[in-house]
Amino acid sequence: MGKKKMEVPKKVAFPMAANYNYAFRYFVEQGLGARYIMQPPMTRKTLEIGTRYSPDSVCTPFKTTLGSTIEALECGADTLVMLFGTCRLGYYGELQEQILRDLGYQFDYINLATYTTGKNRDYFKAIGRVNPKVNPVKVVPAAMDTVKMAEYIDEITAQYYLNCGFELERGAYKRALNQFWTDMDRAASHQDIEEGYQRVKSAFQGIPLRKEEPLRVGIIGEYYTVQDAFSNLELEQKLADMGVEVHRWMNVSHRNLHYSGEKNLNVRVRDLTRFSMGPTSTANIWCARDYAERGFDGLIHVKSACCTPEIQIMPVLQNIGADYKIPILYLTYDSQTSDTGLMTRLEAFYDMISMRKKVIR
Amino acid sequence: MKDAYLGIDVGSISTKGVILDDEKHILSSAYIWTEGDPIGAVKRLLGLLEAPFDQSEYRIVASGTTGSARRLAGAVVGATMVKNEITAHAVGTTAFYPETRTILEIGGQDSKIILVENGVAVDYAMNTLCAAGTGAFLSSQSRRLGIEVEDMGQIALRSKHPTQIAARCTVFAESDLVHKIQMGHSKEDIVAGLCQAVVANYLNNVAKGKRIETPVVFQGGVSKNVGVVAAFERALHCQVRVDENGHLMGAIGAALLAKSGSARQEFRFATQEVEFKTREAKCGRCSNNCEIICVYRDGKMIDAWGNRCEKGDVMHRKAQ
Repeated sequence: MGKKKMEVPKKVAFPMAANYNYAFRYFVEQGLGARYIMQPPMTRKTLEIGTRYSPDSVCTPFKTTLGSTIEALECGADTLVMLFGTCRLGYYGELQEQILRDLGYQFDYINLATYTTGKNRDYFKAIGRVNPKVNPVKVVPAAMDTVKMAEYIDEITAQYYLNCGFELERGAYKRALNQFWTDMDRAASHQDIEEGYQRVKSAFQGIPLRKEEPLRVGIIGEYYTVQDAFSNLELEQKLADMGVEVHRWMNVSHRNLHYSGEKNLNVRVRDLTRFSMGPTSTANIWCARDYAERGFDGLIHVKSACCTPEIQIMPVLQNIGADYKIPILYLTYDSQTSDTGLMTRLEAFYDMISMRKKVIR
Repeated sequence: MKDAYLGIDVGSISTKGVILDDEKHILSSAYIWTEGDPIGAVKRLLGLLEAPFDQSEYRIVASGTTGSARRLAGAVVGATMVKNEITAHAVGTTAFYPETRTILEIGGQDSKIILVENGVAVDYAMNTLCAAGTGAFLSSQSRRLGIEVEDMGQIALRSKHPTQIAARCTVFAESDLVHKIQMGHSKEDIVAGLCQAVVANYLNNVAKGKRIETPVVFQGGVSKNVGVVAAFERALHCQVRVDENGHLMGAIGAALLAKSGSARQEFRFATQEVEFKTREAKCGRCSNNCEIICVYRDGKMIDAWGNRCEKGDVMHRKAQ
């Protein structure tokens, strides 16, 4: 009598990354037929755990992703997926795996950096490790839905920070956005995603605004810190609450899904820099000048401490600031950055650009 | 009765206060050490401000606070305006020197640079975690040398050959300083070298990448040190102006901001007898564990802050 082996689906987790974990969940559950483990939102505790087991001088995203990975393990995850990137982030997976093994955790580790050869065959190898019996007929449409969801997340997040500072009824935008997150978290089909998106769109449209010549601030900077609200201490929300229209180009849609390519973008900033300095530097330089040319009232450059690519573009940004007479606030985040210090600088920045606007006018 | 405006600047090292009239004249001013007790310092400060102030002719119709303890000081005096120190300094200075282009400011724990165009700030920078090149560094080194921090400037001016001191970081500066002392450099040269180190550190860190245009105004506690002023003039090749009230500019700015604000709340000097207490509490409603500071006036909570979200909003929770 042959024993039938019970198939236990893998319990997959990703590190917390802005609001994209809903999209990860969708792909893992609908495409790969595995379970997704969503750890709780990051808090001070996440950062403390991550900092405790990280090298001190590593950048903050390493610490937060390590902390949230440990939290996922404690929620029962048995298969971890590490993201990749073209800066030091590409090495982080290997180091984090070693740290987690040394701590004694048992898990299967899928470091995406080792599968990014550019060949589709290799991506399927990574997928095969989550579920060897994966059904390709399911994976492809699920991947397309996931991309769609990521685009919707970016579109809605951008709209939220553009307008939420000007709502007449306090908290209306936040409520609609939270409903959208719930919808994306529960989405189990293409239709669910579309319905959630339509719902938040019409909710946003129904919120009355009072917006007359608002202050416009553009946020640029390091990929992870600039997108993740916990990592940048809710920079965008703080600005919006002061009554600022917050613009941020950097997101997965723009930088990954519809990126014009490093070389093609470099053509437009050739007079400022001849070469690429890192994964987001060309984009940030282009973006900073674009905001300046569109007459924004100020720019904020965000990076985590020790982020070499972003440190390198600062002289270029200073030139843009001088050429276009646009104030630029430089913010550096590490695990010790305090809310109070950030608030002092933001308040001063707001006062400065608003007083300046009155005089220029 | 004429209107007057109170401005208080509670910094990490010193607490400053002024009372201004409608014409921006200083009716009363005081400068004391904070000594790690901002509430006590504000009370003492108010005592000093009250004595020369003519309460039969003027009444304080609005008050503003600034500095790192602005929120706490604001709760104590019932301020109509609580503003960050960068804005307060910019507003205070441009009110007296509208033609100024660059404001250099070095305080006890922080230093900043504010660039001004047409009378408004257009760019600023502030030191982050490092207190290198601030007043705290100078005063700790003056103790090591056995001199008063107030005398450092005069001593520095006597030097003909200032000692080169590594200025990148206070830790390096300190060990380099000890080394130079043991090598036998004279005290004047060492002190002058320290003043230069402060300036070099400031220009390399805070003012990095900023175009310094004249006229330049220098303020904050360290501006009282003539040695540092001379070092700035040598480094920038231009005249550096120091106002006799440069150390009060933050407080003056706070008073002016209170004046230009719309809120009005008469301030009487009765707060000195009132007992203020603060209590720190952990929110505990999520794993952020925000530290919430509650301020009590005669046993009644008047303000609370430190919460990241509405779960820790103790003031409104109580009201419900």
